[in-house]
Amino acid sequence: MSLLLLFTFSTFGADRPIGASTYVPYYAGILFGMNPEDYTYLREIEKAGAWEGVMLLGVFVGGLITSIFITKSFRFSVLPDAWKRYKNSSVKSRLIWSFFSGFLLITGARLAGGCTSGHFLSGMSQTAFSSMIFGGVVLVTLLITGKLFYNTRGSK
Amino acid sequence: MSMGEYFNFILTRTESMYNTVQLEGHGSFWLVFFIGIFFGAIIQYSRIDKFEKIAGFAMGKDTIVPKILFLAIGITSIALYFEIQMGYASYHIKPIMLQGLILGGIIFGIGMAIIGKCPGTGPISIAEGRIDVLFGAFGGILGGWLFTKYYDDFFKPLMGNNYGKATLMSVSGDYATLFVFVFGIALILIAILIPKMELPDDDGPSLEHDEKVKAGNR
Repeated sequence: MSLLLLFTFSTFGADRPIGASTYVPYYAGILFGMNPEDYTYLREIEKAGAWEGVMLLGVFVGGLITSIFITKSFRFSVLPDAWKRYKNSSVKSRLIWSFFSGFLLITGARLAGGCTSGHFLSGMSQTAFSSMIFGGVVLVTLLITGKLFYNTRGSK
Repeated sequence: MSMGEYFNFILTRTESMYNTVQLEGHGSFWLVFFIGIFFGAIIQYSRIDKFEKIAGFAMGKDTIVPKILFLAIGITSIALYFEIQMGYASYHIKPIMLQGLILGGIIFGIGMAIIGKCPGTGPISIAEGRIDVLFGAFGGILGGWLFTKYYDDFFKPLMGNNYGKATLMSVSGDYATLFVFVFGIALILIAILIPKMELPDDDGPSLEHDEKVKAGNR
């Protein structure tokens, strides 16, 4: 993990940090047929979005190859085991919550200007204060939400 | 926009994605693509993309994610410091947009606890065949679309003032080297000291644990 980050940062690699959330609005812009000339944000992310767009294609392919040939974990599934145990067994509930939380995830990441990869991994490795603030807030919210959202007491 | 125009638009934009990356000077298209493949493979192999890992951490029942994250950051921060000192890399700091960081952090944290993924591990889970995460991606695309559409009027003002790009290193002056070491070593220690907990699922625990169990059975 570290080696990959170091390589990406280095001039031998890409001379830039890894990020993995700018690609979402970039793809959204493509899918919704938005012309970059009409939207400030699309112009701002034109380069970063393209870079991450390509990287994430790689991530998808890398995940696919590994899950089929190495970890052999590829199968179609809807409900994660822990969801069944600590939340409910409703497919509808999981899909709706997924959609909603995916929406939150990207909106939050874009507001903060980064996600787990960009802020945690790349940002904190550079000892950036912005990333530490983000990391701290996410950590606390994550733990509070986990306690409130899931039924962790009683069932085992 | 008609269907044909839409199709053309997507083609043009995809082509421009390729060209932007190719000409930007941050690695050729294929290099970036391979960085992605390795990223995906490492995460898939370590199984930290699983719902049980991030949601489990949110529930306080699984500590693999923070252990791996802190360890990776600790090692990288020290090694990156040398890489930069030797002139093989440079810093790319994100600015402190205080309001955006805090609001974004809260929204991101809630979303992350519920979906059990981050934007980087999501595509890996989709590649593994997880339909629920695909729905999360639809939500994410909607979020990205709204953000882009109302960026000027709503989201940009919401991000607040820019307080610059300070880092631990830039404020510690002559002691920068020392601080980076303390920071890196502290994170590595935290990673080691966090007690190891794993939330089991049908696939069984992570690979490392798997091997231990196998070794124990022999």
